[in-house]
Amino acid sequence: MAYRRAVSLLLRRSECVSNPCTPRLLKSSNISSQTLRFHDHCIRTTRSVHTCTPLMVARLLSVDELFAKRSLQEYLKKMETEYDECLRETEEQSNEDELRARRIRASLLAPLIHSIRELNTKQKDFAETETLLKDEDPALRELAELERESCLQHIRDLSQKILDLLIPEEEADLSDLVLEVTAGIGGQEAMLFSAEMFDMYQGYAQHQGWSFDILEHTTSEIGGLRHASASISGPQSYKRMKFEAGVHRVQRVPKTEKQGRMHTSTMTVAVLPQPTEIFHDQPEGPEDRNEESKGAGGQHVNTTDSAVRIVHLPTGVVAECQQERSQLKNREKAMKALRAKLYSMKLEEETSKRYNQRKIQIGTKGRSEKIRTYNFAQDRVTDHRIGMTVHDVKNFLLGEDLLDEMNSSLQEFSNQETLIELLGENDQEGS
Amino acid sequence: MWRTSLRAGCRGCRGFGPKGIWGSHAVRRCSAPAPALPAGRITARQAVDVWKRHFEERGVTEPDNSSHYIIAHLLGAKTIESLEHGKLTEFLSREKTEQMWQLCTRRLSRMPVQYVIEEWDFRDLTLKMRPPVFIPRPETEELVELMLTDLEMEPGAKVGADGQRTCLEVGCGSGAISLSLLNSMPQLKSIAVDQSQDAVDLTRENALRLGLQDRLQVYCIDVLKDAETVVSLCSPVSALVSNPPYLFSEDMTSLEPEIFRFEDHAALDGGKDGLKVIKQILTVAPQILTNHGRVYLEVDPRHPPLIRQWVEANVEEMHYVETRHDINGRPRFCILQKKKSNKDHRLDQD
Repeated sequence: MAYRRAVSLLLRRSECVSNPCTPRLLKSSNISSQTLRFHDHCIRTTRSVHTCTPLMVARLLSVDELFAKRSLQEYLKKMETEYDECLRETEEQSNEDELRARRIRASLLAPLIHSIRELNTKQKDFAETETLLKDEDPALRELAELERESCLQHIRDLSQKILDLLIPEEEADLSDLVLEVTAGIGGQEAMLFSAEMFDMYQGYAQHQGWSFDILEHTTSEIGGLRHASASISGPQSYKRMKFEAGVHRVQRVPKTEKQGRMHTSTMTVAVLPQPTEIFHDQPEGPEDRNEESKGAGGQHVNTTDSAVRIVHLPTGVVAECQQERSQLKNREKAMKALRAKLYSMKLEEETSKRYNQRKIQIGTKGRSEKIRTYNFAQDRVTDHRIGMTVHDVKNFLLGEDLLDEMNSSLQEFSNQETLIELLGENDQEGS
Repeated sequence: MWRTSLRAGCRGCRGFGPKGIWGSHAVRRCSAPAPALPAGRITARQAVDVWKRHFEERGVTEPDNSSHYIIAHLLGAKTIESLEHGKLTEFLSREKTEQMWQLCTRRLSRMPVQYVIEEWDFRDLTLKMRPPVFIPRPETEELVELMLTDLEMEPGAKVGADGQRTCLEVGCGSGAISLSLLNSMPQLKSIAVDQSQDAVDLTRENALRLGLQDRLQVYCIDVLKDAETVVSLCSPVSALVSNPPYLFSEDMTSLEPEIFRFEDHAALDGGKDGLKVIKQILTVAPQILTNHGRVYLEVDPRHPPLIRQWVEANVEEMHYVETRHDINGRPRFCILQKKKSNKDHRLDQD
């Protein structure tokens, strides 16, 4: 998001005049690194966003660059042809299922085709303004300028819309999720870091207007977190949170450190899509609930042990909960976690095949990848997948704008990878 | 310090339950000394550890859970897992330390945790608990669950001028079942009866705390002695629910001290075969229920086939529908339905 904003800042020259600091775009020969620094006069603090791209990671292409690709143009033409064929076919006599399939395909493609055609129209309009710009009448020239600006804006918007429409929506993107955090290497410090990360995600959920329901929460003696899980629900929750999955590293002098030495500790975030009730019902297969059998139970027993442990026998997947005093409530939470695990296992096959070649991994392959480093000494957070560094770790850990921006950048990058794959190219090719 | 703990420990041992079973037996146990109040400050975690060890030494059941629930309650949470992190490592104030000691000493006398902290959760509700009123069991949460599913599916007979459905609970105790039903079904009205005035008082108190008092009527009636009053006050209803005393008399002596010493025996003892109250409920049910009205019972795992046989032989108007199992796979719930009768026009709502 920051990259694109900076790039579009460049293009809107009129705005740059009023802005005291003109952003500068530097391009060096082999390492395509762009350093942008800008003062946002609305916010007092200076935020620096560096996008240093190491050689192996392709940089984020702009909308214009993507549209300049021949593969994209060909793909769009292919879609248009397919659409026309679908419509034509429905006029002829075919069997019921085929007819329905074509109709559905046509309706799915319709918004894309509509946008493509609108774009073509706008581009024609833009071309016309070119001729008007050369007119003798200054009033007409001025009108042409304005028209041109407006056309450019429309073209940009439509192009972005088309790109968005090209990226297929994944089934899981519509779901809620179960978040799991686990302390990794580093003992107490890793557990303290896990607690901070869990808080960050709780903050993020609040920032996004999602619900955050703790299913499980195991603390350490000094207030750290061994592992915890929460059910997060709200629009786009899984779609955003999926990029948080992986190993997060912290580099700092721990609270527990007496000699002031720097340590590196890790924690792992797992994100399991939680199907909404409409999609998936009870898990299939027998379940083994509480194994405790206290004789006859019921009135014979008084117990405060309402912990629930569910084992899904066909797969051996286990879910537990003892967050609540009511056994029924614990069972509901455990079932939620179980369903999420089973669902994510089910999706696993599909996603691992599709995401195999990518930089941004979703699913179990991504689970052991070191995705981000939080370096307190240098006050920076670096995401290794897209080579993005943001400053102000403390602010980042609040789970608000800084995390949101990084997340959006990851989203954009992932979208681009999807697009490139769709167009059948490998990512070494530039524009 | 010693005397206060002694008094605190004995508070729960005041003569509840049937006369003669209490007395010296209980008082003797109460004189187990509590660990001394610490001189300096301690953290919540340390207090938990001290008491957990002490409970273990004294053979108090569920030593872990006991100390966890008590400290959580003191620190304003329901479970230790849901406490804000860091709270456990904070030092307790003098006041809180004394409260911890006071409450844990009560637990030392085998008072159930639910009575120690004077509350417990049942499904979505938090209810006040007070000895000797019977503490709701986890199985009973499932009874409400299956009843709700049933009631929501079936259109059911509409009773009453305002078209609201009415349900009767026999042996309401703390009010768990009725209040849970009312909370989940805004269009439901309930009547609850119990032979114990303590239970009636507690149910009314819980109803008020939950704002459900307008849809609940509570009466102190013994269904064994005074069936006619139940019939005249409560009929017609479309559903009857009960978690009646269902223990076999011979099993009463093997109950844990938590139950034996603190809970009302009348809420537990179902007679020689555990069916005394159940049989009475089923005998009276046809006079209270509308046609096709249902009875939902929680019972001992040995009961379902016995009940089925007995009903078929003795209560012509009731039809045994099915047995349902609890979360531990034991037969636990009986559902029966009133067959359509031509006898009483008053109840003929079809």
